[in-house]
Amino acid sequence: MISFWRIFSLEILALVRSRTLAMLTAASVAWMLAFPHLVRGDGTAAGARELDIHFSLGGVFALLVVALLSSATGAIARERAAKRLQLTLVRPVRYLSIALGKILAHVAVGAFVLAVSCGVLAARSDLGRSCSHVLSPVLPSPAEEARDMYDAYLKDPETPEAVRKAPKAVVLRLLTQRAVDHYQTISTNSSTAWRFDLSSAAGDGGPIAVRLRFTNQLEMRQDVVGDFRFGGLSATVSNMTQAVLMVPLAGQGGAPADGVLGFSNRGKTALMLRPRRDINLLTPADAFGWNLLRAYVALVAILAIVVALGIFLSAALGRPVALFVAIVLLVVGEMSPSVVEQYPDELETSIADRIGLVITRFAATVTRPVSSLSPLASLAKDECVEPREMARVALLGSVVLPFAFAILAAFALPRKQDD
Amino acid sequence: MAAEDDSVIRLKDVSRTFRDFWLRPTVKAVDGLSLTVRRGEVFGLLGPNGSGKSTTIKMILGLLSPSGGEVTLFGLPPRTVAARRRLGYLPELSYLHPFLTAKETLMYYAGLCGLRRAVAAERARELLRMVGLTEVAGRPVGGFSKGMARRIALASALIGRPDLLVLDEPTSGLDPVSTKEVKTMIKALSAGGMTILMTSHLLADAEDVCDRVMIVNHGRSVAEGRIGELGTSLEDFFLAKVGDADDFVLADFLA
Repeated sequence: MISFWRIFSLEILALVRSRTLAMLTAASVAWMLAFPHLVRGDGTAAGARELDIHFSLGGVFALLVVALLSSATGAIARERAAKRLQLTLVRPVRYLSIALGKILAHVAVGAFVLAVSCGVLAARSDLGRSCSHVLSPVLPSPAEEARDMYDAYLKDPETPEAVRKAPKAVVLRLLTQRAVDHYQTISTNSSTAWRFDLSSAAGDGGPIAVRLRFTNQLEMRQDVVGDFRFGGLSATVSNMTQAVLMVPLAGQGGAPADGVLGFSNRGKTALMLRPRRDINLLTPADAFGWNLLRAYVALVAILAIVVALGIFLSAALGRPVALFVAIVLLVVGEMSPSVVEQYPDELETSIADRIGLVITRFAATVTRPVSSLSPLASLAKDECVEPREMARVALLGSVVLPFAFAILAAFALPRKQDD
Repeated sequence: MAAEDDSVIRLKDVSRTFRDFWLRPTVKAVDGLSLTVRRGEVFGLLGPNGSGKSTTIKMILGLLSPSGGEVTLFGLPPRTVAARRRLGYLPELSYLHPFLTAKETLMYYAGLCGLRRAVAAERARELLRMVGLTEVAGRPVGGFSKGMARRIALASALIGRPDLLVLDEPTSGLDPVSTKEVKTMIKALSAGGMTILMTSHLLADAEDVCDRVMIVNHGRSVAEGRIGELGTSLEDFFLAKVGDADDFVLADFLA
């Protein structure tokens, strides 16, 4: 334990005395202070706030990802190249302590710089401003729906032979993707209902709204004319929308115990929407200050994953290769969800495309537990960074993945020395 | 049997082959080397450049794994924490963290050896006094001369009170006064019961401090014996065993 703290404090000293910490802090604070004076929003307070959080705090986060990744990929490789590492390796210190000490030191620096930046943001924000839980309808999971669809296809005599012969896993994956985008059609003068799980929604009596968001590949423009009813709350809407339509619910009485939101289409055309993507119920959550704190924890956890990856690569590879591989992995991890979403038809593609898709899909699957949470986007839109989601990412980012990468680094340390 | 119980370092038929990226063998640096270093002795591993001394040292330290054979320190594999707890190492160059002061350097390595802060501080003071660097304890070692860096590196090697001290070219680059001081220190440490393994290409130094030497060439042991039993000077003995090797720097010991 003593040796772990020695490694940690040596790394902190290195980052402090090389002025890395001072330069990162100064650059971040300067960016946080200067950004609102450099860029104007769309003229609304909410627009300016969204832009501010996205680009000022987002800019600092991007800077930290790049700087800490660069520093972490050199943390062990540089010492090995300078032959200082051998003096550590011959001491009675566990290789795991070396990796963990270096990871923790880099995370501590990132957490400090991010805390200062969040402090600057907090100083110019209304910390008491309320945020919203964003609830989605309770539906069977896309995988469950895909299995049902698959069974139905097999029973249907008109199902093409190609589908029957295709590997089940491939067809299920395609159907799962289709289930996510499954459209529901609400005909004229008909009604439908969606159930929402209100157990995680905190506040009673605060403003509740329905949000319709028709952002899809076709950028559909639809007339939404009809009545929403949610227990004692209701709203009538008559609007043509391209992207986002907010419908505040008002009336006597609160939310229904069963959480059912009804909608009657009074328009002249059918309404098409994807329940898993296009409709949300916004219920009151706690204040912006708490949301900022949760977003901070989630961002630090993501930084910890990046740093731990960098330290592992540093233990296993030389510095330039480690940095190159880390950046490639970062880009693949960042891009993979959108690639997988937009390019799912691997049944009809070439071998090269298939290999690329397998790699991309693997990257998307591996990074999904973290990429599914977007703390900056939620913070910018005054949407609650859900405590449960934050806890999951924090557990992954602060404990599970750094520890796993540290074990891999500890395994690689003496073996790389053998080269 | 008693000799075996006394062994601190044991190498049994050890070999090490370096390979290229495609795992094809490129150099056989050590080839079937066996040696035993007993408790309390100063053992010299001598040989011309490229003879396999450094590779052997690295295998003893656990920095390299042997391709074949067995290496043990105190009866344990060198990479175990228990074996490393009893080990001190002075590399050929000092390899210090330039941003740390002399005292911080010693405190850092004391921490790696598991010493508590108060004990480490006392031990650091003691060693700084021993190597004559008390006056510059607060100065970053990046600004030290080669001799000062060598002394602080030696102090770092001794911070954990090791039972075995491995010295790779301990007098390399030192002026005659510092060289004499280091040799005196080695003798004092040996007199205190410490086992010392040193490599050197300065035969005069080895002759002064070693109890026993092994001469290696092309990764193999070509001779081994006690200094007093060689029957000739170490220099003549060495040249007889290694030949008039062009790769041996004569100037170093003729000077």
